[in-house]
Amino acid sequence: MNLSTRVYGLLLLAYPPEFRREFGGQMLQVFRDSYRAEALNGSVPSFWVRTLLDLVSTAAKERIENSGREGVSMNRRSDAVALLGCAAIIAIAFLLQYVTRNSAASLILINYVLDPLVVTGVIGNFIVFLLSKTTKFNPLRIAITVFAVVHAACLLLIVVLSSSGPPVNWAGILIGYVLSFVIWVGLHFAWRTTGRNQALNSQH
Amino acid sequence: MFHILLALADKERHGYEIMREVDERTEGKMRVGPGTLYGSIKRMLNDGLIEELDERPDPELDDERRRYYRLSDFGRRVAIAEAERLDKLVKSARSKKLLSARGT
Repeated sequence: MNLSTRVYGLLLLAYPPEFRREFGGQMLQVFRDSYRAEALNGSVPSFWVRTLLDLVSTAAKERIENSGREGVSMNRRSDAVALLGCAAIIAIAFLLQYVTRNSAASLILINYVLDPLVVTGVIGNFIVFLLSKTTKFNPLRIAITVFAVVHAACLLLIVVLSSSGPPVNWAGILIGYVLSFVIWVGLHFAWRTTGRNQALNSQH
Repeated sequence: MFHILLALADKERHGYEIMREVDERTEGKMRVGPGTLYGSIKRMLNDGLIEELDERPDPELDDERRRYYRLSDFGRRVAIAEAERLDKLVKSARSKKLLSARGT
């Protein structure tokens, strides 16, 4: 194998791994055959220029096609999982809220967590999904910021509404909102990490 | 893509043969690089226009690592349809005196 063929073999790394696995050996052989013919004609420099132009344009095309295919399917899958997960958690929290409303369980902390979990879950996740689809900010940062703002806004609303109403258990409410914030941000962190690992695994 | 269909219309060929055939037929005006060739082959295989041969036509005459391709039935129909479309275009050009009767 001469130097030119070795160099071209290295340049083939510009193509996506699947394409290289399928056609890399054939491309190297075609390059070798073409190089021999061009060397006989004494036109190696122009052959290299043509080959490099071909490599740059087609490697970029294959990469774009490949990333588009992987990216779209991976995004759709993680979107579907995240949406279903959020809907399931909100539904379960809502159901538990209904079941425990008139029972002894309403006296314990669980109801203080369920209320913000449902309210901030619906509002917060809607805003998070909207922003992560329309902006280029990091989705986890969006989730942390949005849930912080939504939780704070809901707490502020409770403060305003309770000023003219019956006394409320502030400690319970505060713990409930903090736990709700931790749960939602934790879930978004878990989804984000799982999605990134899946994307990395699919690349290898 | 039509050039590759045309190269495979009369016989099965491996990649380098396809390149040579296109180069010779177009008198060196169209030179296909390895990336363009195998990118097209990949898409044509996916679209069912060409097929890879299980066996090499001349096992004793060439490198065993070569892969040979041939037109599929669908690929032949597509090539015929495209050739007929081009033929009609040429006839139209001739009728408008853009080409002489001999086609030069």
